[in-house]
Amino acid sequence: MTVSAKRIGLAFLFFAIAAMAFAQAHAKSKPEEEHRVTFNRDLAPIVFRACAPCHHPGEAGPFSLLTYGDLKSHARQIADVTQKRIMPPWLPEPGEFKFNDDLHLSPEEIALFQKWVEADMPEGPPADLPIAPKFNPGWHLGQPDLILHADSSFEVPASGSDVYWNFVFRVPLEKTRWIKAIEIRPGERRLVHHANLIVDRSESARRQEKSPGSGFPGMELQIESESFDPDGHFLFWKPGTIPEPVPQGMALRLDPGNDLVLNTHLQPSGKAVKIQPAIGIYFTNELATKFPLLLQLENDRKLDIPPGEQNFVVTDEFALPEPVSLLAIYPHAHYLGRDMLARAKFQNGETKTLLHISQWNLNWQAVFTYTTPVDLPAGTTVSMRYTYDNSEKNIANPNTPPQRVLAGNRATDEMAHLWLQVLPQSPTTESHDPRRVLQEALAHHHVENNPDNFEAHYNLAAMLQARGVLSQSIEHYQRALALRPGDAVVENALGSAFFSANDLPLAIVHLSAAAKARPDYFDSQYNLGLALATSGQFPAAIEHLRAASKLHPQDADAEANLGGALAANGDTQEAIAHLRRALQLNPQHALARENLDAVLKDAKP
Amino acid sequence: MRTAGLATSRMLLFVPALAFCLLPLSARAPQAALDLDGKTVDPIKASRGKIAVLIFVSTDCPISNRYAPLLQHMNEAYSTKTKFWLVYPDKRATAQEIANHLKQFHYSISPLRDPDHSLVKLAKAATTPEAAVFDAQGRLLYHGRIDNWYESPARSRTAATTHELHDVLEAATNGKPTPLASAPAVGCYISDLE
Repeated sequence: MTVSAKRIGLAFLFFAIAAMAFAQAHAKSKPEEEHRVTFNRDLAPIVFRACAPCHHPGEAGPFSLLTYGDLKSHARQIADVTQKRIMPPWLPEPGEFKFNDDLHLSPEEIALFQKWVEADMPEGPPADLPIAPKFNPGWHLGQPDLILHADSSFEVPASGSDVYWNFVFRVPLEKTRWIKAIEIRPGERRLVHHANLIVDRSESARRQEKSPGSGFPGMELQIESESFDPDGHFLFWKPGTIPEPVPQGMALRLDPGNDLVLNTHLQPSGKAVKIQPAIGIYFTNELATKFPLLLQLENDRKLDIPPGEQNFVVTDEFALPEPVSLLAIYPHAHYLGRDMLARAKFQNGETKTLLHISQWNLNWQAVFTYTTPVDLPAGTTVSMRYTYDNSEKNIANPNTPPQRVLAGNRATDEMAHLWLQVLPQSPTTESHDPRRVLQEALAHHHVENNPDNFEAHYNLAAMLQARGVLSQSIEHYQRALALRPGDAVVENALGSAFFSANDLPLAIVHLSAAAKARPDYFDSQYNLGLALATSGQFPAAIEHLRAASKLHPQDADAEANLGGALAANGDTQEAIAHLRRALQLNPQHALARENLDAVLKDAKP
Repeated sequence: MRTAGLATSRMLLFVPALAFCLLPLSARAPQAALDLDGKTVDPIKASRGKIAVLIFVSTDCPISNRYAPLLQHMNEAYSTKTKFWLVYPDKRATAQEIANHLKQFHYSISPLRDPDHSLVKLAKAATTPEAAVFDAQGRLLYHGRIDNWYESPARSRTAATTHELHDVLEAATNGKPTPLASAPAVGCYISDLE
């Protein structure tokens, strides 16, 4: 009885306390509930937007951040790395112009993580939880029209410094196609910091491979391009990237024989891992109607950074001769870069910041696309101002102790580049091509900046040649040749400029030098054959056109010209065979048709 | 109401019993951990007079994983006078996951699970990866980072410029006083794993 009575007494006492506590809790429950930070209501929306795109199975994040349990088991770490702005990785400071997929967290959002940990990580009512994002484990845009796999894998070693590797994809196309989207699947994503895809229209990357499909090392890629048709697209991959189709009318052209080159930045992970990227291509029947272009500001020549220097500044600026819409921006430096500022100074004197990065980190580099394109009227000066830290305090410094650092392509060299993707606003007419005006003005700017730079002279010469300003074009090709004597590409270009200027003897001299320097260079063999045929040297012309058609058996022009030269040399039967082959490759080939008709007519007894 | 009241009172009566129960638990040897078969192992004793080196790691921490080749190399270099142990403080990591992890990263260091963090407390470990060095008498000679490769989870050097664990082991294996007692490690928080 006693025990029982005691129990009842205790029960009463406890009930009384519980009731009081309940009354108290009830009295102030409203404001407390409002201030209590929970996962479901406060953190999940932030996590789903800014963390989950990388932190889900199959993506680059080392663990998933999708559920309450995921967050709880990394709670203190998350509170710490968000407060230090280590995560989510997002380099630009907030500014006037907004970027797509902005991962920046506001100070209020960061404070929520702190408060949540202080409150011992409450989950909150299930009804508050927003719907979790769905991630497509396969190709994001559905089954691609064409999937290309790298011919060989590359093994990233278990340890050591970062590795830069290039994969060359040979695109099996029989005719020109237009691309609306490309998805890059770099392979084991946890090792790939970023990747850049470049269209190589001149097989220049292939030549760097030891054997076809083997790939080759290198942090920076140098790709030759046609004399005037720059590609105006960034094809960039970083962890969490979800590919998007190009804006309406901006399809990317791909021709037979073009290669796609994937330049990857890989980081050893503690175990050796094989990387074998794949690319998914989505075609469209809509031809491009808008042609953006990439403008590069740079001042590599000024990069000569003394060891220990903490505040080395490099600038460049360029006045736009045409009104443009700025679509995207891509800053680039290596490990010594610290602060990057890109600005636009308008003609009314106003200056606006296009991009500011105060803590550059090569590992998190990215292309930043403006949510709304930025209007830059003609006369606007765009500028870059980069600051480098070559002291021991910069822990990314690849040299211990710090060394003098110059510009270059290796990871231990530096770079000062700023790429702007712009869309000219004026229409292109027969008498006015705004893209050419912009390119040529920029090429002049680079020659002024870098009077001893091969590429600067070569690019300006190519643009002048395309516009038919041959004497100036020849002058700049000659200056490029003086800087790189015997270079097959510039010998070929200079020869073709002389050819256009009707100076056949000098054309033949330079084209011969190009073909001799690189016998497997199609353009030089073809151009030399053409120049020799034009000057009536048919046997020699036949020899080089044969070499050209051997290098590119699918080239209708080479077949047509070879047929023409053979006919002129009296080799009628063989001429007919090649002219027919040309028409087989391109039934609309007017020259082949005309020549074939003429040869057949003459051949008739 | 009555039923609820009785139930709470019964809870209250159990409280002393629970508190009493905790005593033998806390009296358990603090350096106890489990091998992959679930057997209790005291790594200090099991090092049999050698210097015990506990390396706290986790399967999903990228910084911890990037140290695997170096740790494996150090384990081999100091094998005559030290005994290395890989300690997994994440109680969610199963024996099978740990076995897979060892295989993937080519570890030949003996693994231990430390689900109740008794070794974490003994070694004052806060992070994966982190090292703790004990002499044969079980005295904690050093705890902290392996080297200064990482300055923060986002910033690493091309190569470390100070090598704390190496320096401590050089001194300890040569019978000299260790050059430092601790240095903060960079990596993933063990406190999240409780």
